[in-house]
Amino acid sequence: MVKKLEIKNNIRTLRFFADEMTQQQLAEKAGASRQTILAVEAGKYAPSLELAFRIADAFGVTIGEVFDYEIKEIKK
Amino acid sequence: MSYKEKRTIASIVTMLSIVTAYYVYAFNKVQAGLAAPDDMKFWATTILTFIGIAIVASIVIQIIFHILLSIGIAAKSQLQNGKCDEKEVEREINQEMIEDEMDQLIELKAMRIGFAMAGIGFVAALVSVVLDYAPAIMLNILFLSFIVGSMIESVTQLYFYRRGIRNG
Repeated sequence: MVKKLEIKNNIRTLRFFADEMTQQQLAEKAGASRQTILAVEAGKYAPSLELAFRIADAFGVTIGEVFDYEIKEIKK
Repeated sequence: MSYKEKRTIASIVTMLSIVTAYYVYAFNKVQAGLAAPDDMKFWATTILTFIGIAIVASIVIQIIFHILLSIGIAAKSQLQNGKCDEKEVEREINQEMIEDEMDQLIELKAMRIGFAMAGIGFVAALVSVVLDYAPAIMLNILFLSFIVGSMIESVTQLYFYRRGIRNG
């Protein structure tokens, strides 16, 4: 068994509660490209700690409220 | 499809066109008897010329893309809001062109794969000399490996933009 850490995020929910903030607006606030925000939201890219903090800051919440993790056991 | 993906596709198409044009030009010259197959000066001059053409072509394509992007954003703004705010258009262009950490990571990983291809090509070129092939063959393998390396780099970038990328 191999343990794999999967990073999850609540960006979609947080955008909804932030008056349906668009990905473009979030990208501008976090200083990233819209494509990066799209990839992070879809779980296709795990951002650096710095960008993760900037995303959390854009919503005015802590980093733990944006990102979470799950440990999955994969059979080898 | 994002601006960066379109730009990458354009770069692949440019490289493919240049390499096709190079081989059509070079082999037509050799077949017509205007250049000897072992004339190293001819091959070196042709390769240098096409490297120049490739550089100019990629700059021109980048400029055209930038213009088309600006026109596209301005037209979209005009259609949606009935007016075209210059500052708004400029802000959107800057946002599209921004290069952040994900772009850098994708670029680095793609470059590593492209460089590996160029490295393999270099070894293949040396092997061709050891196997007594003409020096022109070695030069062409070298040139082709750099072109293919560059195309693989672009294809890898596209792949990572589509599939996503993991750190580490």
